[in-house]
Amino acid sequence: MLGFTKGLGFTLKKLPEKKVTHKYPDEPFPMPSRFRGIQHFSPEKCIVCNQCVRICPTDCIQLTGKPHPDPERKGKIIDTYDINFEICILCDLCTEVCPTEAIVMTNNFELAVYSRDELYKDLTWLDGNRTNIREEN
Amino acid sequence: MELNLDEIAPELREELNRNVLFTTVETVKGWIRSNSLWPLQFGLACCAIEMMSTGGARYDLDRFGVIFRASPRQSDLMIVAGTVTKKMAPLLRRLYDQMPDPKWVIAMGSCATAGGPYVKSYSVVKGVDQIVPVDVYIPGCPPNPAALIYGINKLQEKIRYEAKTGKRVTNP
Repeated sequence: MLGFTKGLGFTLKKLPEKKVTHKYPDEPFPMPSRFRGIQHFSPEKCIVCNQCVRICPTDCIQLTGKPHPDPERKGKIIDTYDINFEICILCDLCTEVCPTEAIVMTNNFELAVYSRDELYKDLTWLDGNRTNIREEN
Repeated sequence: MELNLDEIAPELREELNRNVLFTTVETVKGWIRSNSLWPLQFGLACCAIEMMSTGGARYDLDRFGVIFRASPRQSDLMIVAGTVTKKMAPLLRRLYDQMPDPKWVIAMGSCATAGGPYVKSYSVVKGVDQIVPVDVYIPGCPPNPAALIYGINKLQEKIRYEAKTGKRVTNP
């Protein structure tokens, strides 16, 4: 009888407390500041150094550059930039190695799709993914 | 009473051919199926840890009617969570065949989608869609519980859409 009262007392004490369940689909889920989400890519910052392609452990990044339209200036500008999210493991190495922070991580994670073809993301899509960008990279 | 069945517009006739009563029944069926998805426990690697965490109190998959079952005979959704090796592939196919219709498959994580970090390996199946038909792919390594919930919601939308319109979600 004592145990029963003790247990019920604990239940009653816990009853008015706030629920631990997060209402995720109804409210956005706040991610911690170092979360590794889908990348954001800024084409104007990229210098086509190919370091992200070389560091990628699964070789999921492909890029091509073209000569700078201004003939006075050396270097290249980005032409195409594709990330294959089928095999991207979001390891953060491409953003760590990038010298100009052209590729940065965001806190977005909602990438579920119905077809594998939709997981190839190109330059325009990665440029448009500019919400919740991580402050520090 | 004249019904003038010849003067119906072609798009209305198409709608009538699909039978108005049965359309409603299909919609209700889709609603019921999407709100009682019972997944088979199919954790193969680290994605299973995230799947277990999604079933826990903080993320709580039971809110969506997703209750994990230990038998393929009682389940209608298979969440392939983790790396599928070539040794595991026949067993995965057998478990899928043992599930009663209607059944769906979610490929959770990069490994189940396309091999992920083991894409150059000799012993890993490069995507679980080579063995079973997959409905929703959730990339990530591993996808966090919220991403899994997002994928399950996408599957529920797919079930309702396909029941309502009779069309496939892919290649419309």
